[in-house]
Amino acid sequence: MPLGDSLPLSARSARAERADDMDAAPRRRSRSGRSSWERLAPLVLVAPAVLVIVVFRLWPLLLGVNFSFTGDGDRNGAAVGLDNYAELFADPLFLGALRNVVWLVLLLPIAVAIPGMLATFIYLRVPGHRFYRSVYFFPAVLSPVIVGSIFNLLLAFDGPLNGLLGLVGLGPVDWLGDSRVAMFTVVGVHIWATFGMALVVFLSGFATLDPALLDAARSDGASLPQVIRHVIVPGLSRTIQFVFVTTMIGMLTSMFGLLYVMTSGGPGGSTYLPEYYVWIQQGQMNRPAFAAAASTVLFLVMLVVGLAQVGFLRRTGKED
Amino acid sequence: MKQRVFWSAAIAGMLALAGCGSATGNEPSSNSASGKLVVWDWKSSDKTATAYVEKAKADFAKKHPGVTVEFVAQPFDQYYTLLGAAIQAGKGPDVMMFNGGGQIRDRVDALVPLDQYVTQDKARLAGWDAFVKDGKAYASPVTLQGHPIYFNKGLYKKAGLDPERPATTWSGFTADCAVVTRATGASCFALGNKEGIGIQFFLSAFGSGILTPQEYDDWIAGKRDWNSADVKQVFQLWKDVNDRGLNSKGGNSTTLFTDAFGIFQSGKATNIVGLMSDIGHWKDFNEFLGADNVGVMKSPVITAGATPSLPFDGGIGYGVAKWTKDPALAADLVRSLTTTDALAAFYAAAGAVVSDTTVKTSDGGPAVSAIVADLKTGKPALHVALSSKTIELMGRLSQQILEGSVSVDGALKQLGESDRS
Amino acid sequence: MRGARISRWLIAVPMALLALATIYPLVFTANAAMKTRRDYILDRFSLADSLRWDNIVTAWTSAGTARYFVNSVIVVAGAVALLLLLGSMAGFALSHFRFRGSKALLLGCLAALFVPFQVIMVPLVRTMADTGLVDTYPGLILAYVAQFLPFTIYLMASYYSTIPSEIVDAARIDGNSTYGVYRRIMLPMGRPALLSVGVLNALFCWNDVLIALLMMPSAEHRTLMVGVTSLRGQYSADIPTFASGVLIAAVPVLTIYLFFQRRIADAVTAGSTKG
Repeated sequence: MPLGDSLPLSARSARAERADDMDAAPRRRSRSGRSSWERLAPLVLVAPAVLVIVVFRLWPLLLGVNFSFTGDGDRNGAAVGLDNYAELFADPLFLGALRNVVWLVLLLPIAVAIPGMLATFIYLRVPGHRFYRSVYFFPAVLSPVIVGSIFNLLLAFDGPLNGLLGLVGLGPVDWLGDSRVAMFTVVGVHIWATFGMALVVFLSGFATLDPALLDAARSDGASLPQVIRHVIVPGLSRTIQFVFVTTMIGMLTSMFGLLYVMTSGGPGGSTYLPEYYVWIQQGQMNRPAFAAAASTVLFLVMLVVGLAQVGFLRRTGKED
Repeated sequence: MKQRVFWSAAIAGMLALAGCGSATGNEPSSNSASGKLVVWDWKSSDKTATAYVEKAKADFAKKHPGVTVEFVAQPFDQYYTLLGAAIQAGKGPDVMMFNGGGQIRDRVDALVPLDQYVTQDKARLAGWDAFVKDGKAYASPVTLQGHPIYFNKGLYKKAGLDPERPATTWSGFTADCAVVTRATGASCFALGNKEGIGIQFFLSAFGSGILTPQEYDDWIAGKRDWNSADVKQVFQLWKDVNDRGLNSKGGNSTTLFTDAFGIFQSGKATNIVGLMSDIGHWKDFNEFLGADNVGVMKSPVITAGATPSLPFDGGIGYGVAKWTKDPALAADLVRSLTTTDALAAFYAAAGAVVSDTTVKTSDGGPAVSAIVADLKTGKPALHVALSSKTIELMGRLSQQILEGSVSVDGALKQLGESDRS
Repeated sequence: MRGARISRWLIAVPMALLALATIYPLVFTANAAMKTRRDYILDRFSLADSLRWDNIVTAWTSAGTARYFVNSVIVVAGAVALLLLLGSMAGFALSHFRFRGSKALLLGCLAALFVPFQVIMVPLVRTMADTGLVDTYPGLILAYVAQFLPFTIYLMASYYSTIPSEIVDAARIDGNSTYGVYRRIMLPMGRPALLSVGVLNALFCWNDVLIALLMMPSAEHRTLMVGVTSLRGQYSADIPTFASGVLIAAVPVLTIYLFFQRRIADAVTAGSTKG
């Protein structure tokens, strides 16, 4: 879909400057002539959304931050200052989980490029495109638990994939049992399981692409890679930005189910992610306040990574 | 047209919200006050637990006809997360199921000590210790959980070994394994250590063949010497067994439940450290191998001076939440959940070795008879004595030992530090 | 020209392989659902020897699935309707108006997007308990709305910001109020975005387990996915029954997707011919 600038507001203001004289007349009229309801209209439009987000998201977040300065177990409820945070940053497991976040960010372009390429091919009507469009979404409807279970079997040490590798003379890989490989295996399965969603977004993004441009490029004899590079990527830059942001959020917040089923954070803690760490501390270790501290750090990391990325994408988007 | 559809959907949604709000918004905050007890567990939806739950409900209904009981089976994956949230919110079920050991000890703040309500059950039921903290019992045991070493007698026969006389020394045991592997291709052990559970079972199953009785009792009592030669021997053995190729392949990526048990059940491994409660146990194995082919042994003697015994504790039990309105009523429900009748039904349908040792198990085949006979000399399992935190660390380190990324000494050092803190 | 055609077919081959790979899990699940537990443990990959419906029946009856199904439909329909309504309203306001604090709001929205559910899990339960919303349909609906609204607003605001302000101004000259602009311009023109964000939100809500579990602790209020997940016991021993439950839960989502993806595709085509 024709997604606006990541911060739509600035897009709007830029446009407003350009089309100043067209804009000015009705705007002025609305200020003087219309009722106060009209002036308040935008506030009324955002109010319910703001209310829901503040009460059920930001407020719990603040509660959680507050809670993170208290103790667990014997020190239940007592103020402990920054103790939880100190312990957190001394825990190699948590640091390892943060390191894995860096890997996720580095792998992000692949997770965006794959559905982008596939959507492009579907848009260009490769043979069978209708069929692909339908079935590529299938993994997304299955729960991560069943997807994880199936891949556990396929990727088992004596499973079918290693059997295939053996046929072509490659040694077996312990996909989920080798700490150097396991994280990439889980990310790969996650990408496989969710690319259908990004595909949907990409496909509706093609709505804004002017077919005339494509036809022109084609009649100029442009090759497929050239068409992608010079027509599709610039035309979809906003969609791409959007998919980047949402895919990252997906990777950083919703890999829990797969992790749990496929590796349980192992081997040796090599596939821990912060959200899994939070879950373990809260549920299995019964340390809710410590988990709240880990949550707070996770939120800050997400915010920094996310906003940095949005900023980066906006800058590259403007250069186009 | 499209708009109208959208708006009617939106309005319907709002109406649904408003409607539901009035219908369910005013529930009384206390369940027991309105004559209702809510039970959380992860068993009651199993087919094999149906008869057990019905018996318990019937018994409770006789005593308290006006009180309804609702069982809510939660997914085990999320059980303790849910419980944690309920404890934080101070709102939740009246009666809840726990695993013995760290899981209940970490949460006794949210529970009512049961001793005054269950005095009459104390002698009849075994396995209380797993639910005790600071001398108070916080749950009544339902099952006994232990870690017998099961072996496949069929494979022994195929290899020409006497399945009625398994080896009692480590060298004899591994020699038998070698014979079976040569004759049938089956590996010595089926190992599943993906969740880090493999090491827990290994430690408990073979610990009594390594530690001296004194060391064993000290360990259970909390005096654990992680630098001792015998403790080191346990972890060294864990590594050696894998290095010598005695385990099924890919242990770190194999789940214990379903995968490793599947390997044993399909005859691809000779031995497995299993369970005796209601899953991964003799009944599951009987179903696949035939009751006569399922053998049980105690740990072979690995270090001279050790006296092998069956490691077992209370398995699962029901406790009473602190926030319940009428603890005596809830405790009565716990008592109904541990009557001989109900437990006998649980044994009959699920094959669980239950906490009431008067329940007859003679119809279950040789394996369960052997297990029940060993209960008398059995001791608490070594891993159950550890804290949740140390258990979790041990799981991770055990995977790293198998991978070779940490040494046995390095692992013991970390474990010792974790256990002391 | 011929070169282009050949390269299209060359691309089609890996795409077809990928299509097979995406269908396979469904086939595997359906196949596992037709097996007995024993057959499954002995050989996971072999074809089921007959069409056996016992597991599906067990999953449907023993888990009380019919009731959970209704719960899921109520909750997902309510949440998606509310999400689309609030999301399009706020998206419109944030993309076509400038008012004091609008920039901060948008940033706040973006920030809220980065709150993983685990972060607010426990405090949210507490908030819900304090407001008496725990274990009610509105409680779960609001939890979903709160969880997915930032995403929805962000998407709708991005989409609407590409609708030229000239169109809005023209509508105003025609005498439309802000409400009229929203109803006559934003809703119809936002259709492709509303459809896809609706489908995605429906999917998120339908497949969610954790939020539903925490917000709806009592048995009679369970959603379908929670019911299905609790078919997996402590040790996930009975995979065939679990697979049956997964299948039951997947069918409605698949149906909705297959239905709406045509509509999305239509909207795409409409957009491109217009543009």
